[in-house]
Amino acid sequence: MELAWYALLGLFFAGYLVLGGFDYGVGLLLARRTDPARRRAALNAVGPFFLGNEVWLVAAVGILFGAFPVLEGELLAGSYPAVLGALAGVILVTAGVQLRSRPASGWARTAWDRVIVVGSLLAALGWGVVLAGLLQGVPRHPDGHVVGVTHLFTPFAAAAALALVALVAAHGATFLTLRLPVTEADRLRPLARRLVLTAAGAVGTAAVVGLFSDRVRVAAQRPAVGVLLAVGLVAALLVARTALGRRREGVAFAATATALALPVLLVGATLWPYALVSTVDPAASLTVTEAAASAPTLRLLGWLAVPLLPALLGFQAMCLWIFRGRTEGRALVYW
Amino acid sequence: MDTLLLARLQFAATASVHFLFVAVTLGLVTLLVGLQTAWLITGNPRFERLTRFWGQLYVINYVLGIATGIVMEFQFGLNWSGLSRYVGNVFGAPLAIETLVAFFLESTFLGMWIFGWHRLRRGVHLALLYGVALTAYASAFWILVANSWLQNPVGYEVRDGVAHLTDFSALLTNPALWMAFGHVVSAALLTGGMLMAAVSAWHLTRGTADFGLFRTSLRIGVVTATLAIGLVQSFGFAQFGSVGAIQPTKFGGTSPDAEALIADWTARFGPGDYLPPVLANAGLGFMILIGFGLGLLWLILPLLWRDWIIRLRFPLWLLMIALPLPFVAVILGWIAREVGRQPWVAYGLLRVDQAISPIDPWLMATSLIGFTLLLGGLAVTNWVLLARHAAAGAADPALGRPPTQPPADDSRTEPAFV
Repeated sequence: MELAWYALLGLFFAGYLVLGGFDYGVGLLLARRTDPARRRAALNAVGPFFLGNEVWLVAAVGILFGAFPVLEGELLAGSYPAVLGALAGVILVTAGVQLRSRPASGWARTAWDRVIVVGSLLAALGWGVVLAGLLQGVPRHPDGHVVGVTHLFTPFAAAAALALVALVAAHGATFLTLRLPVTEADRLRPLARRLVLTAAGAVGTAAVVGLFSDRVRVAAQRPAVGVLLAVGLVAALLVARTALGRRREGVAFAATATALALPVLLVGATLWPYALVSTVDPAASLTVTEAAASAPTLRLLGWLAVPLLPALLGFQAMCLWIFRGRTEGRALVYW
Repeated sequence: MDTLLLARLQFAATASVHFLFVAVTLGLVTLLVGLQTAWLITGNPRFERLTRFWGQLYVINYVLGIATGIVMEFQFGLNWSGLSRYVGNVFGAPLAIETLVAFFLESTFLGMWIFGWHRLRRGVHLALLYGVALTAYASAFWILVANSWLQNPVGYEVRDGVAHLTDFSALLTNPALWMAFGHVVSAALLTGGMLMAAVSAWHLTRGTADFGLFRTSLRIGVVTATLAIGLVQSFGFAQFGSVGAIQPTKFGGTSPDAEALIADWTARFGPGDYLPPVLANAGLGFMILIGFGLGLLWLILPLLWRDWIIRLRFPLWLLMIALPLPFVAVILGWIAREVGRQPWVAYGLLRVDQAISPIDPWLMATSLIGFTLLLGGLAVTNWVLLARHAAAGAADPALGRPPTQPPADDSRTEPAFV
């Protein structure tokens, strides 16, 4: 039962990285010096999906609190600065995207766009550090608390954070080639291909830095799985690049989406059966079973929440289906 | 500096800003459902314009509700990891249910509603708004289930120092729950109704060209607020009995029950100050005063007859002046409920100092200052935008604007590809 909930937690967080990932990628691309109309068109390409994307994060943290309360407290408090940064980024993006077109003046909208850029950057960097922090182990003491913040400031965490920034930028650009009108997609395609390649390089670098990190090597319970998934991640990006070259934007987007989901699987599978590996005392490592809520709570959540999962996923799918296709002609402009 | 005090200040600041926005969200969405339903049934374009105008304000207001809500959700883990460690098995369940069953769907539906104008069939589009409203109420309900458990922990047993769930139905029949839910929902309706009445009054005092439209929303707002204030008062006073019984120390003063309870706590948890700060009850007094003051809405209600409310002018001014009152009252009520349970985070079970995360005070202070400035700045920006859009009137809200119509609020024309 704990494994099922752990998988569900992973599903929602991976879903957030995939869906929120293209929000942030599109957000980062606002930093380019394009005209205001193009910036607005990019945001409205995300348009109807935006509100449904970020809620995956809220749901993931809800599952974390309900089904893994001990992990919730130690993970968030133990990655304090990284979570603060990510959270500030999430807030800036959610406010920026929804409010940027409410003032009419050009300079106010440009200022909001900068807010979105900064927010997207913070969110990607923050979640990158959180994921890297899990993979390199945390100073969890025998009293059960993770103490200190300096454990987060490592070369591997920095490399992973930059890799996640590169990943969301590539994912966002790929999303826009899929969603914008054909002429605009053609303009963006070379940039998307470059970004995908950069992301592959950044992921490769982070993987190498990780392999050379003592802490990562000690914390990894299944190093082979980790390496395999990292190779899979790079492969997905190469597939995306080829698909972009052949104008198969759908395939390319599926590939970059896979690339954003894989880090979550990688962290979960490499550390299994642990959720948190302690760097100070092996006995203080927290297994997934220990981190889970007690049986009556999981049973209750199973009865109440799981029957609704098809509805949750169904309504999200309905949103994707209704607003599928390129934003040509009849698409509403609101953001 | 004291990490505990900083963390408490941060939660109070975030929760207060959150409450100011979600009260409007819950109140306005209810009225929007009415307006859009009226549009579907009658086909009268006035109701379409009303839906777009009030929907625009609703959507702007919604932004800060999400932003502050996300920060609160994370704060439980960031600042209060003891809460998840000791009582997470029980307290976490309603919060998890809220995110999955309510908020997740609410936001998904709202995104489709905003972008579904002129694209979806009218019935489907309206159904989405019903979905938004129902999940908003469900959200408020589950949050209050969680909060009521902190006020009055039930349905659990403690094994090895950790609370485990034994009876979930006890959480749903918690005496701290239902009257509070009624009170909060009617306060939200009061806030939404007052907002609608006051903004309409402003346009009517300025001789708006949209007289018919704002006359309609004035009437809806006044009727809603008047009915709601009656409910607010009833649920409010109905709570005193049950809250006094389950939390004898809440309202200060000394009673035999409170003394017995404090003696029991002193025996079990050691000596300490088990009474809440006086501040909590001073606020409660003001809130009750505001509640009685807003009861005067019953005197304004008859003036709807033959539009005396508009012809006399001064009732319109009264409505505008009174607009801050429901906002002040919801904050004061919330403070009374939350500060009144101090020093407990879960009443009689877990003290706030046991729930705090072991975070360096400087880091906590950075978080407090950073997020307070961020959310405070966003809140003020949001209110400025709300005021501007409210003042701009219903001529051409961006919400629901046909895709073929060039956006009047853009400084330059959009290229053909948009």
